[in-house]
Amino acid sequence: MKIPRLTTLASIAVLVVLALFPVIGVPLNWLNYLFIFFIYLALANMWNLLAGYTGLICLCPHAFVGLAGYTLAIGTWVGVPFQVGLIAGAAVAALFALMISYPAFRMKGIYFAIGTLILPEALKAWFNFWRPVGNAYQGMGAGYSVKGVAGVTLGDQYWLALAIAAASIFLVYIILRARLGLGLKAIRDNENTAASSGVNIFRLKLISFLIAAFIMGLAGAAYFIFSPRIQPTGGFTISWLLLPMMATVIGGEGSEEGPIIGAAIVTFLRFLLADYGAWSLFIQGIILVIVVVVLPRGIAGLLRQVGAYRFPQKLFQAAEGKIHKT
Amino acid sequence: MSETAVLSIDRVNKSFGGIDAVKDITFEVRAGEVLGLMGPNGAGKTTLLNLIAGVYRPDSGRILFQGRDITRYAPHKICHLGIARTFQIPQPFTSLLVRDNLMVAAKYGNKRGDTLELDEILDLVDLLKQKDTIAGDLATVSLKKLELARALASNPTLILLDEVAAGSTEAEIPRILDRTEQVRKMGKTIILVEHVMKVMVEAVDRIVVMDKGEKIAEGTPGEVMKDEKVLAAYFG
Repeated sequence: MKIPRLTTLASIAVLVVLALFPVIGVPLNWLNYLFIFFIYLALANMWNLLAGYTGLICLCPHAFVGLAGYTLAIGTWVGVPFQVGLIAGAAVAALFALMISYPAFRMKGIYFAIGTLILPEALKAWFNFWRPVGNAYQGMGAGYSVKGVAGVTLGDQYWLALAIAAASIFLVYIILRARLGLGLKAIRDNENTAASSGVNIFRLKLISFLIAAFIMGLAGAAYFIFSPRIQPTGGFTISWLLLPMMATVIGGEGSEEGPIIGAAIVTFLRFLLADYGAWSLFIQGIILVIVVVVLPRGIAGLLRQVGAYRFPQKLFQAAEGKIHKT
Repeated sequence: MSETAVLSIDRVNKSFGGIDAVKDITFEVRAGEVLGLMGPNGAGKTTLLNLIAGVYRPDSGRILFQGRDITRYAPHKICHLGIARTFQIPQPFTSLLVRDNLMVAAKYGNKRGDTLELDEILDLVDLLKQKDTIAGDLATVSLKKLELARALASNPTLILLDEVAAGSTEAEIPRILDRTEQVRKMGKTIILVEHVMKVMVEAVDRIVVMDKGEKIAEGTPGEVMKDEKVLAAYFG
């Protein structure tokens, strides 16, 4: 029998331990923190797939999150179970990505970034007035509660978020080792050369964009099961962009471990600074500036530079050698 | 169009904001030949290459490759059909390894069967030792070689070389000539844009001379060098 690689086993072990948390009586607060961490992790991973590996500085994750959240919420008002709404929300996010792809991809670099930034604002305005089901609202703010999720325990939500985060990591892992990953990196490095080397730029960007939108939609919808009320201001808040972007940049854009490290830091800061209101954003901003100036390749880049992975790598190799001998 | 023509350029025009970069150009490239494209700066040589490679679309005229009208094809489709190009200023995939630079072209560009040994290509351009180097770390001379290697990796029928010798020292010229000859022996047809006269005269079978977007002469190196229009364009 072929023995699986030790790194694979270690990843599975981590996943199993994390999955056991709700069962073994870990404090509920922890589950709360980890839930948020998983959501940010999934978002940051997808943001990294776009910005770090495809060269698309996508400034509209909040469009995907908000659309998925609204699809889920409105769905529960017309009798769609939230499990279906979760998938439908992600599908709507991906559909939206498909709709905007043609005009958006005609813009390159910074123009693409700015072009995508206005979309969530437009959606926010739209959802302020558009109320397809339920009684009309007085004044502004077309909020919806998510119905029928009262019975979903924190444990269930935790598992859902864990599954989405794990899927996002696995997905990026697979993509980067496949032909698709090579093509995406080629586009990121040089679009002209990629095109003249036979890479269909539009198609590859679209695949990457759709995957990211779908997973971001999943993560967003999962959040609104956890916090079952959505408003235009909350659904399309720029935080859904800033936090994953910050996580990716602090952790290390264009590295696989970067978003994981970054999402942990961003989540930690969010709860640590929760009591300081506006100061929290200020402090996070300062941290971001320092990282960008001092560590242009993020913490992952620093770890690589100082050779932090060498020792664990050696350890794993030595251990693997022993296992295969016996 | 004659039977041996791989590529035929048929009355192609391209202007940018009122300036005619390429004016009514017509010529053919025969299978297996090395065709030189010559002319002073601003003659429209690189624009013409970009028209063939699909980066620009002609305002009028047609470009036929192996009898197929490719005038409005996108760059990646043109690569799939078998036209590869190098850039005058090297444009590598800077963060990828040298071998992955070739791998992109091999995996995405080569649609006509025949798996190629990338190591052989790297050996041909003297980059085999650097195959695990990140392309962004290479010196300019090596980047020029990488341009050729990447173009070859997509297994093209026709290869467009934009100033492969520019910036090279006199001592490197024989090696460049030798390499061009080897590429030809692989059965490739070549269009060579070049400023280095020695390379032009020794490497090519025929020359098309352009000036201010127009074709002013066509023929063997010997014929062209005696042409009055050519002498006028170069020496005034």
